[in-house]
Amino acid sequence: MKIVEKSSKKQDIEFKPNIVCFCCNWCSYAGADLAGVSRFQYPASIRIIRVMCSGRVEPAFILKSFKDNIDGVLVTGCHIGDCHYISGNEFTKDRFERLTKILKFLGLEDRFRLEWISASEGKKFAELITTFTNQIKKLGPLNNI
Amino acid sequence: MVIKGKLREYLNNCYQCAMCSGICQMGRIQKYTPSRIIQLIIEGFEDRIVESGMLWDCLTCNSCLEKCPYEVNFAEIVRDARNKMLDARIMPKIAHKGFYTLLSEIMSKENITPEKTFEWVPSGCKVSEEGNILYFVGCAPLFNYEFDESMNNAVDTLKILCKIENEPIVLLKDEKCCGHDLLWQGKIEAFKKLAIHNIKAFERSGASLIVTSCAEGYRTLKIDYPSMFENFNIEVKHLVEYLYEKLKANKIKFKKEKKNTKILKLTYHDPCRLSRFLPKSFNIYEKIRYIFKELEKIGYVYNEMVHNKSNSLCCGVSCWLNCSDKAKALRYHRMLEAKDVADNLITTCPKCEIHFRCLQNDTETVQDINVIDLSNLLENVIEVIPSKQNK
Repeated sequence: MKIVEKSSKKQDIEFKPNIVCFCCNWCSYAGADLAGVSRFQYPASIRIIRVMCSGRVEPAFILKSFKDNIDGVLVTGCHIGDCHYISGNEFTKDRFERLTKILKFLGLEDRFRLEWISASEGKKFAELITTFTNQIKKLGPLNNI
Repeated sequence: MVIKGKLREYLNNCYQCAMCSGICQMGRIQKYTPSRIIQLIIEGFEDRIVESGMLWDCLTCNSCLEKCPYEVNFAEIVRDARNKMLDARIMPKIAHKGFYTLLSEIMSKENITPEKTFEWVPSGCKVSEEGNILYFVGCAPLFNYEFDESMNNAVDTLKILCKIENEPIVLLKDEKCCGHDLLWQGKIEAFKKLAIHNIKAFERSGASLIVTSCAEGYRTLKIDYPSMFENFNIEVKHLVEYLYEKLKANKIKFKKEKKNTKILKLTYHDPCRLSRFLPKSFNIYEKIRYIFKELEKIGYVYNEMVHNKSNSLCCGVSCWLNCSDKAKALRYHRMLEAKDVADNLITTCPKCEIHFRCLQNDTETVQDINVIDLSNLLENVIEVIPSKQNK
């Protein structure tokens, strides 16, 4: 995660958040692709990491991102019932409900979101990135709250 | 990378009697044993030790120090080497994908102030933010993420404290992790940040006594904080010590439970942080045996395991490092020992408890033994003797 360079810390330059977005190979990544192909505009604040299934995303990945000063983390996967591996995203849901409690304790729960995006929802993907980026912009950078 | 100062003194004291290698619990399966490692460092092969990453496998159970005639503190050499291994980017394999270590590391950032919720506080317990007696909860609420029973320990300890003390018990809202795991994983910078935050929080609360129910937390608060920060001088007591003093002062006694007619056979697992990691004068393992002696009077049966007190075997995992088949074999061995003499395995370390329970999910032969924390056992049997002066 160290490849992601932080933008300049000077206040007069607009804060550009760094957001890590985990996309599942079968739905969300295709959705992100569709958003690109259809030329929907969204901020260039995200770094997409493709995983085979949202169930692959360990809670430790989220914590590792926060530890390395990433401002926000998105996890996206197929809608419940649509998982390519039948029940992968159900595990994800259960897992991140537990993680949210921990993040609440650390005061980071606003910086993390779990969303379902299917391959046909390019528009939704673009909107999600826009709203989430705005949300993170309001919260400010993680390393100097 | 040359070891200096106190550690160098340790090394020079070693005369290769290899007692440590004989007692080392990993020694049977390791390529290098403690005495060999010390010899290699003295001969100038420290880099080779660091590069091989072999010291990540050390349990830091301190059995070697117990037997050493010259008190060569091998665990501290390991801690120092781990710090160097991190610098050399030789990474350990941390259990649970490093989840709990990452939590501590995030907490060590100055701009993150955790906010604990007190939903778990049982009704009838008075808690406040300022007062005399502080209960250091530690990471139990965080373990709740995977281990559903992890809070029982904290709940019961708080119940005991509230029963004995008249004043409200202090619980800190912004209490951070004590940093034990980071310290023993060699992340000393992060540990110091956590310690500074905690010491400030302790002082703000105005507490004169800190009680903890966690073995690792106790060792860290009692030994490591004062050794690094001289201004920290609040008294720290483990629940065992606290109850022992109350028993001696005739403030509490144990009463028999009415419902429970079955005779409970108990045995006690000494966590390394409460026996070998403390100076001999602390004598916690005798204090807890006094508590068991008192319990015997009300009908419990207490049996000692083959390896006990400072000789006790390790649960196999400390500071979330190297939970592997080897560690599980050690733990299995320990549980069989317990099974021979009792049906209830008592411990005072939440992590030992978690690890023993975890093994029970895997192995059928040890499933019938009941692993419980001391506070869970005592919660129902403690009775306060009303003081005569008040009447």
